[in-house]
Amino acid sequence: MSEIYDIGYRHYDGPRLGRGYSTRALTVHSLRGVFGLGRTARSKIIPFALGVIMLLPAVVSIAMMALMSRRGMSYSGFAVYMQTVVAIFLAAQAPTVVAPDLRFRVLPLYLSRPVTIAEYVTAKVIAMTAALFLLLAVPLTVIYVGELVIDMDGPPQTKEYLGALVMALVLALLLSSFGLAIASLTPRRGLGVASVIALYLLTSASVPVIFGTLYSTGNESGAAWAWLLNPFWLVDAVQVWLFGTTPNVPDGGYPPGPVPAILVVVLIGIGLAALAARYRKAAAR
Amino acid sequence: MNSVVAGITYRALLGRRRIFLLLLLPLALIGLAVMLRVFGGDDPRSAELLMAKFAIGTMLPLLGLIAGTGVIAPEIDDGTIIHLMSKPISRPAIAQTKFLVAASLLAVFAAVPTYFAAWLLVGNEDGLAAGFALGALVAGIAYAAVFLLLGILTRHAVTIGIIYALLWETLVGSFVPGAQKFSIQQWALTIADQLSGTPFLTANVTLGFAVPALIIVTLGAVLWAGQRLRVFTLTGDE
Repeated sequence: MSEIYDIGYRHYDGPRLGRGYSTRALTVHSLRGVFGLGRTARSKIIPFALGVIMLLPAVVSIAMMALMSRRGMSYSGFAVYMQTVVAIFLAAQAPTVVAPDLRFRVLPLYLSRPVTIAEYVTAKVIAMTAALFLLLAVPLTVIYVGELVIDMDGPPQTKEYLGALVMALVLALLLSSFGLAIASLTPRRGLGVASVIALYLLTSASVPVIFGTLYSTGNESGAAWAWLLNPFWLVDAVQVWLFGTTPNVPDGGYPPGPVPAILVVVLIGIGLAALAARYRKAAAR
Repeated sequence: MNSVVAGITYRALLGRRRIFLLLLLPLALIGLAVMLRVFGGDDPRSAELLMAKFAIGTMLPLLGLIAGTGVIAPEIDDGTIIHLMSKPISRPAIAQTKFLVAASLLAVFAAVPTYFAAWLLVGNEDGLAAGFALGALVAGIAYAAVFLLLGILTRHAVTIGIIYALLWETLVGSFVPGAQKFSIQQWALTIADQLSGTPFLTANVTLGFAVPALIIVTLGAVLWAGQRLRVFTLTGDE
């Protein structure tokens, strides 16, 4: 192949850094893009403002521990309580990861390098997962460090903190695989933002209605299943099953057993498969 | 008002994938209403819950966002607005036409399904269906105006709109009662409360505040949008 285009320029004979390097570079570039680093100041406002909002309950929690020696927000319930902010972050930032490349049709440029579709999608999913994980893990860690420094009565809740971190990672993977799959359907950022938040609101706003109906008609075991419609409560149900924490729901609990965990794995698989299928089609254009 | 501009805008909104989003939420509302009816939850209390939380609280701001920004933001985004603005049509008239398109879409996709869902649950009892439909209609018009303006002011219109609808109207409004005075949602609930005699709904804003506020916000946003479009400069993507 190279002979066809060989018009006498000097060949590149420096070190070839390989596919792992290019995937890593793409991941870091995408992760920086999520927070607007390396972009205009205007695109930094929203991710960092949402990050600051996520830190507010951590500050309140530490203040409560220091001044009233009472625990504020539990580690296990953090993601569920802050779900609106996390969902807005996902909706606002997932399209910035995937939309520009589709919109400006630069995907063929990536794929003309030793980057395959699988590596491209992996890099994007890892970047979004890492961003969401940071959004959740930083406030959790701040609360934990605060707890250690203040030296509360009783042993520190290390197990609950680590459990919350693990579940934050699972939640981040679930949200980013679905968020990116939906956002990648349109090259328009605005429409991508609206689609992701519409799906989240559909699940979160219908849960209380379905739960309330089933609960008031006496079908309490059926009502417990309603919570699993929302990704945040679904992951919380897995946390209850894995780490034995208290469910963060107003009444009753989640359906027992490993079903929520299986659902999470299946949903992550569906999200990733949809994303891969979408990019196989987009790359063919 | 310009019928050609209106036609182009209708086609852009209804002919693309955006229509799935416009249909998804009303269908979910009607689906939930049917589910409530089947499971025997069709009492005024759960009807009120579904209407206030889902129809007014979730569906209406989202549809307002999709329709309000959708009539103008994509054209600004890909620069085709330049073809519209270089024609001898008054730019405030373009803004007003686009506002009317967004408002009419909200009437069809938000107010009508709201009436239908409420009617499915309680019939014409207490004027609940009519009250919520009128609230959704009036608030939909206000949302269309505000989000149209936002779409002209900033490229991050959808994100900022979501932050307003979810964080300000819902979260901040529930902690700081004063914030509810500046919430289109609450104004819609006030109007719904006025028309329906249901005891489960209590409005947090008086009618004497809500009605002038709705009129001022709608007119002000449409006029401001027209002014912004007059001095509009198209800049590149970041």
